[in-house]
Amino acid sequence: MKRLIIGVLALLGLATSQPSPFKARLESAIRSGGDTYAQVLLSQDPAQQLCTQYRGQLPPALVPQFIQAQKALIRYPQGDKLLGEWQNGQKVFTDPKRGNCYACHQGDSKELAYGTMGPSLTGYGSRGASEAVLRYTYEKIYNSWAYVPCSLMYRGGVHGLFTPEETADLVAFLVDPHSPINQR
Amino acid sequence: MRKSLILTFLLSATALFALSQQEKPLDPFEEAMKQRQQYLQNFGILPGDLFASQGEELFHAKRGPKGKSLEECDFGLGPGKLEGAYARLPRYFPDTGKVEDLETRIVSCMERIQGFKPEVIKRDEVVALTTFVASKSTKAKIAVRPQHPAELAMYTLGRELWYTRAGPRDMSCAICHDNYAGKRVRLSPVMSPKQGLGSEWPAYRFEEDRMYTFENRIQFCYTSVGIPAPAFYSEPQIALTMYILTEASKAGHSFQELPFFTR
Repeated sequence: MKRLIIGVLALLGLATSQPSPFKARLESAIRSGGDTYAQVLLSQDPAQQLCTQYRGQLPPALVPQFIQAQKALIRYPQGDKLLGEWQNGQKVFTDPKRGNCYACHQGDSKELAYGTMGPSLTGYGSRGASEAVLRYTYEKIYNSWAYVPCSLMYRGGVHGLFTPEETADLVAFLVDPHSPINQR
Repeated sequence: MRKSLILTFLLSATALFALSQQEKPLDPFEEAMKQRQQYLQNFGILPGDLFASQGEELFHAKRGPKGKSLEECDFGLGPGKLEGAYARLPRYFPDTGKVEDLETRIVSCMERIQGFKPEVIKRDEVVALTTFVASKSTKAKIAVRPQHPAELAMYTLGRELWYTRAGPRDMSCAICHDNYAGKRVRLSPVMSPKQGLGSEWPAYRFEEDRMYTFENRIQFCYTSVGIPAPAFYSEPQIALTMYILTEASKAGHSFQELPFFTR
């Protein structure tokens, strides 16, 4: 009996470790797109896999552990200093290869070429610079999926598009009263 | 030869013109229509039409090791029948046993009918030929309806790729083109297939000073979210085209004036 159960379990394990015919077909299609393309598409992390599988709408039962796993990915700057230099934050915010924040957000009111997919960040500093605001802003920028699973906003810190220190600079760009974000 | 000279002249003229026009952001659609008007007034022809006529010459010329024209190429409606053919692509072709989009079909005809080796086929020529064949489907109703098992499989692959989140910016096509359709990335409006995404390619993009085919456009989308572009004529290209144009067909969209003129 025991042997039978082990046999069935082994078979099941074998069955689940084999990719489905669709997965295999998808993988071969992706490989036909070339090595560099395939390398990125076939190395999704577990969170990207879940967001793909559920088309961006996680079942509520999966949300708590998803958020917990994303929170665990957040790294903080030396000495937990969440407020950096707004001037450097502006550079990272604007750089298409780094933050690229203008793709989706309004920022400095002088910049007219801004996207509208994310909420406007102009005047963000009006919510003050309390510890709670700084921490939320920092964590949201570093890993947005720790707050909204599968959101459009990418996990810039997690993917190394900016360092923890630069994340603190981005926080400063948003909350510092002297930053152009908060000038009218 | 003379045509390519005119082309070079026109293209550099646009580049200069575009540079001198960068003060205040305009609505991109209005801006493109304004530029299009200027072209017609100044030169009497649009850059896209020059690509189409270059493609027409290539189409009828006897070329390649077999010395044949592409008039024997069947785009799905019978050899040499081009009117509206693009509106039914991608589709399954029994002669190659594959689902092909327009660009892939042109390449497979160049190989099979004209005898070209894949490595000598020039991308520029495929772009011109694509522009010419697509121009015969100007304003045609998009009619991509997967039926053959291979077409259905390609559609399903395309749908999966559409939703695949990947790369350093956690992107998929769907996250912008479904969830945020109607919004803007910087100044560029983003459309969903249901809103007619895909109806404007091939198009001359004056901002880039280049002719963009559907495959060029898919490559641009991937590279702009930090994912290396899939190769031309590869299955991700065909699958995504199949998915996008099937959805546009369901929603009843028609192609724009092809080649389109856009920002």
